[in-house]
Amino acid sequence: MSESELSGLSGQPETVSGTGEDAGAADGAAASGPTRAARHVGVEPILSVRDLTKYYPLSSGVIRHTVGHVKAVDGISFDLFPGETLGIVGESGCGKSTLGRLLVSLERPTSGSIVFEGRDITDLKGSAMRRLRRDIQIVFQDPYTSLDPRKTVGDIIGEPFKIHPAVVPSGKRQARVKELLDLVGLNPEHINRYPHEFSGGQRQRIGIARGIALNPKVLVCDEPVSALDVSVQAQVVNLLVRLQKELDLAYVFIAHDLSVVRHISDRVGVMYLGKFMEMGDEDQIYDRSTHPYTQALMSAVPVPDPQARDKRELIVLQGDVPSPANPPSGCRFHTRCWRAQPACAEQDPELVPREDGAGGHDSACLFAELFSKASEEITEADQIG
Amino acid sequence: MPRKSTRLDLAPIDGKLLEVTDLHVEFRTRDGVAKAINGVNFSLSPSETLAILGESGSGKSVTAQAIMGILDSPPAFVTGGQVKYCGVDLLTMPEKDMRRVRGDHISMIFQDALSSLNPVFPVGWQIAEMFRIHRGMNRSDAQEQAVRLMERVRIPAARERAGNYPHQFSGGMRQRIMIAMAIALDPRVLIADEPTTALDVTVQAQIMTLLKELQEESGMGLILITHDLGVVADVADDIAVMYCGRFVEHCDVHRLYANPAHPYTVGLIDSIPRLDQKGEQLFAIGGLPPSLTHLPTGCSFNPRCRFATEECRVAGAPPFIEVEDGRFAACYHTEEVLNRERV
Repeated sequence: MSESELSGLSGQPETVSGTGEDAGAADGAAASGPTRAARHVGVEPILSVRDLTKYYPLSSGVIRHTVGHVKAVDGISFDLFPGETLGIVGESGCGKSTLGRLLVSLERPTSGSIVFEGRDITDLKGSAMRRLRRDIQIVFQDPYTSLDPRKTVGDIIGEPFKIHPAVVPSGKRQARVKELLDLVGLNPEHINRYPHEFSGGQRQRIGIARGIALNPKVLVCDEPVSALDVSVQAQVVNLLVRLQKELDLAYVFIAHDLSVVRHISDRVGVMYLGKFMEMGDEDQIYDRSTHPYTQALMSAVPVPDPQARDKRELIVLQGDVPSPANPPSGCRFHTRCWRAQPACAEQDPELVPREDGAGGHDSACLFAELFSKASEEITEADQIG
Repeated sequence: MPRKSTRLDLAPIDGKLLEVTDLHVEFRTRDGVAKAINGVNFSLSPSETLAILGESGSGKSVTAQAIMGILDSPPAFVTGGQVKYCGVDLLTMPEKDMRRVRGDHISMIFQDALSSLNPVFPVGWQIAEMFRIHRGMNRSDAQEQAVRLMERVRIPAARERAGNYPHQFSGGMRQRIMIAMAIALDPRVLIADEPTTALDVTVQAQIMTLLKELQEESGMGLILITHDLGVVADVADDIAVMYCGRFVEHCDVHRLYANPAHPYTVGLIDSIPRLDQKGEQLFAIGGLPPSLTHLPTGCSFNPRCRFATEECRVAGAPPFIEVEDGRFAACYHTEEVLNRERV
């Protein structure tokens, strides 16, 4: 998107408490149309990830020889299409943040490939790498530690322009920073203030302004609202939704809060120990999940409605997530799965389309068909210890 | 330090364990006086779960610390009010007696279990300390009690794990150890300050289930401090919503969620994305909470409130009054809020 387009868009005050009618119209059309996956037929993905892995060596002893690997990301594949949001959820330690860092090349993958707009970017170096960074940017989780306390807001948001001088001519940078501040709903007059003068929500807006400063095409949001209070969280989520529409951004939205992810995402991937357990459109995952892990995760989310107290079926998972240095054999969820069968310990199920009662979507459970919500009666009968 | 097994002989009065009246706390800082708590009233009965809900800086943790008598003073000072436990005012109680109330009668679980446990002692030793100090038990008896407690909070292989150090446990297990320490002496009141905030949802569900079971076993009163409206809806009987050091609404959980009586509660409930329904744009409360050193005149919420009128800005803080049977709110426009048009 060119700069002139951007300036045309900025200056609109943020509708903090808007009714979101236009958002509703857009969404309604999507829901009544073909499934989201079908919409992408013929559209080139902007980002294609294939079999991505990241192993961190574990060393021990006096000579620090390698004794094993922490498999933080262990074979992840997905496509991201222009203008869509892919949500990635999982418990702490499942590798979702490492995946985010791999996507923006803050970490080098151990194997696998990342293709951006048809070009393999996995092993880019030097100036080609720098050029690429303009297109894929990241917003970090903690707005308190990700902003340099000794720099002014203007310096923080303007720093990308120093590294990529071609984006905005030096004379116009100040004006552009003010425009960005306005775009994320901050007062452009505050350009000379320091991060400590802002609240958590405002700081996250600064982080977002920095993320979109170079007009990226993909924005990786790593837990962007986890550190914020509920009322402020809603403001930032609304801001991200608005920016996506205005700037035609594709988001990879990483979070552990399933409700926020559902709200913002078109498609969702559920991660466990470095792998996707299930992936599909937002309604496929939330309404017709076929993987026991997704179902357990979903049932554990408290619903803010006391009426639902007795109706809810809580699946309490036993124990903790196993160590990613030594993941269980077969399906890595089988040690905590309340529906595990002997076969689960031996066979590692692939992430392939499996029946969910309404067309099917990707799931990595051997017994997905059996456990889909659509075949509730069968699951009751077939349930084994 | 009492090295005997005597427990202060206190019994609930009129079925009330704890009665807090008109509590005021302020922090005297270099930047001015921050009024953290400005008149908080509530009571707690046995087996009751009261949730105190609020965002960061609303004063919910300070309320808990004031009850426990563990405020850092200075800068914090209790400037008014009473905290009566079984009829005795804890605020004027000598520290010598207060030590016997803490742990024995009222105990507390903190948010961050890792920094609340001592990293250089095994967890079993730390739990056993409760019995050694408060009950004067010898080491081996105390250790035995500690193992039993670890089993009670469902830590697998408790006997073997009692010798482990805090860093050898996962976040959920550490929180269980904190709970074990808190319930060691069978307190009548348990204050849980954001007990699950740092945990994953699956572990959060385990911990909340555990707390509920322990409460059913012992009949203790539970004060649950949290910012998560989901957790509250699941476990609380009563909810008090705090904003800028005041209770703005207090009622039973069902009525509060069905139809909030205070604009702030309305905003909070509307601003959460729901898992069971895909929304459009989220409703957000505009603006930011004010600084506690410079509270707005009138109602503290008026700059962010869509119901605000001139009255809210010029008249004093709205009184916290009974607006319906057993339902309290501090707003000049309660009628209007209750009968508002639903989004």
